[in-house]
Amino acid sequence: MDSEGPFLETLTRRLAECPADFLAEPRVGVKGQVRVAAVVADLLRDMGGPLLTPAQAAVFQPRSAQPAGGQRNWLALVLVAAWLLGDPAFRQGQRFGTSAAAFLIDGLTELARLNPAGKFVSDPDRREELVRLSLSRLGLRPAGETPAQAADRLSTISTTERQRVLEAARAAEARARAIREAMAKKAAEEAAAQSSRE
Amino acid sequence: MDKELTDDERYPWLDDESRRLLAWLHEHPAAPRFNHHCGDRLTAAGLERVRQFEDLVNTAPPSWRPDKPPAWLAGFVAFCFRDVPFYRQQGAAPGRLGDVPTCARADLSREPWRFVPDSLPLDDLIVYNTSGATGQPLDVLSHPETASKYLPLLRAALRLYGITLEGGRHPRTGRPRVALLLVCSQRRTYTYASVLSFLGGAGFAKINLDPMDWRDPGDRARFIDDCRPEIFTGDPLSFAELARLPLQHRPKALISTAMQLLPGLRQELAERFGCPVIDLYAMNEAGPIAAATRAGHVLLQPRLYVEVLDEDGQPCPPGERGEITLTGGFNPFIPLLRYRTGDYASLSSSGTQPLLIGLEGRPPVVFRGAASREINNIDVTGALKPFALPGFQLHQAADGAIKLSVLPSSADTGGLHAALSGLFGQEQNVEIVVVERLGGPGGKVIQYSREESGD
Repeated sequence: MDSEGPFLETLTRRLAECPADFLAEPRVGVKGQVRVAAVVADLLRDMGGPLLTPAQAAVFQPRSAQPAGGQRNWLALVLVAAWLLGDPAFRQGQRFGTSAAAFLIDGLTELARLNPAGKFVSDPDRREELVRLSLSRLGLRPAGETPAQAADRLSTISTTERQRVLEAARAAEARARAIREAMAKKAAEEAAAQSSRE
Repeated sequence: MDKELTDDERYPWLDDESRRLLAWLHEHPAAPRFNHHCGDRLTAAGLERVRQFEDLVNTAPPSWRPDKPPAWLAGFVAFCFRDVPFYRQQGAAPGRLGDVPTCARADLSREPWRFVPDSLPLDDLIVYNTSGATGQPLDVLSHPETASKYLPLLRAALRLYGITLEGGRHPRTGRPRVALLLVCSQRRTYTYASVLSFLGGAGFAKINLDPMDWRDPGDRARFIDDCRPEIFTGDPLSFAELARLPLQHRPKALISTAMQLLPGLRQELAERFGCPVIDLYAMNEAGPIAAATRAGHVLLQPRLYVEVLDEDGQPCPPGERGEITLTGGFNPFIPLLRYRTGDYASLSSSGTQPLLIGLEGRPPVVFRGAASREINNIDVTGALKPFALPGFQLHQAADGAIKLSVLPSSADTGGLHAALSGLFGQEQNVEIVVVERLGGPGGKVIQYSREESGD
């Protein structure tokens, strides 16, 4: 978040106006209309590279008609993110190709697991989340915000962060319960000899 | 009734000679009515770790200057904030120990599980239910190796007096001997005979001098004289009782814990038994912390950092009295970060060796029951243990009347009254008062107090 990027509202509006082509069914095997690998390759070229390797391209064009659970939604989200990153602000200077490639390849998995892709167009909070996450992965922050404000706001709105906190709370409660159960069991057991009092 | 372990579980290492010693302790014609079993539960790997701990105790005694905390401290703080739920909830680890919020026994008592590191397996957990000499019950989570690590610390305390706890075999008989006798004097407590692998299979027994625990009160002296323990451990009240027995045996030392050992009694005991009487500052949450010497209480644990704090949690300058506050420890189930003990002293040093000066522990209180029967404050705590009291103070007036002040709770005052009447006698005047705040000098709650009757 070292540099200022576009205004937040500019980008959330762009997402709200996502064209139908980018919301069409991604191609999986022989089904679906949009070839995601081609969309991503075009985008990265416009942003100054790099070219997708065959292995990377294969990730965006699954051959199986029955891809692993959630992969279709992930591909749909990649399309929405590709529309966002197609904003002229990201293409100028041809600086963001490498970080955009990394973001599209591995930065959307968790988000896609937690939300339907369409929500990142229809829901204001999810639009803001995708914009902030995208900017952050490109090393940018919304225009007019300090790095601390941008980091704080991203953390607040982040679905993945909220999920992480929920899972941590669940794990902590499970651990506490396990210890209480062990205590109840062990309290009824002999302890170990202690050579002095306290 | 506790679930009983097998001897193989109690003593994974037990050999024939220690087995014979154990049988001798149980079957001695003057033995007390032991009411419990307890082994050290130490595996070979565990024993090796206890030995490594002893190496650390011997080679890396506590050493720091006020402006230069020990090197291990920063890593320990980071570990606690990363791995221990109670500390993690406070957010990111502060850069300075002084910015870490303090905690106290009430925190540990309320939710002991929140002090257990996430990464710690629970398989070998053991639980001590303590009545607490100061009155606040506590479930102490511990580990068999932690229990055995008391022994290197006792040895370190004895070494300050040029005394060695040897254990092993008796030089004359060649058989395992009795190394330690933990002496209690109260109406009811667990008692047992045991053997300790860390001390080469030597014997250890916890006994209660209350005559009800023995077939014949005269058996007490006979049994103890036959055991010939190297060291007695106990508290001032039990040692005062021990001194009244016609014992011939002369131990190497007495180690007194749990309550404040007043100088007069220490002198009397030293003359009676012809050996040093060492006041050991210890607590369930942290084990043995420091041993008294002429210069002050010498800290014993290699990984326990001690601060002395004022009421605002700020470190007192050297020489100024404040609350003893602990960071570190050797019980993996209770990693302590700025744990306020409720005990007071000033901090001084001899070179880089820190000393506690003027330690003010928990004074023992003996109450009077019906027919002037003595009642130990531990018995009072025991009687009140079933009640969920967040805090209380018990005072006995000169005429014997008992006043119990309790903080508001769900405890039934009728039940409290009945419990105390049962302990002190039905004819004793007992009053239960619910108060919003417990008071004491300097904000410290004096759990037990008694007005001298002049008799």
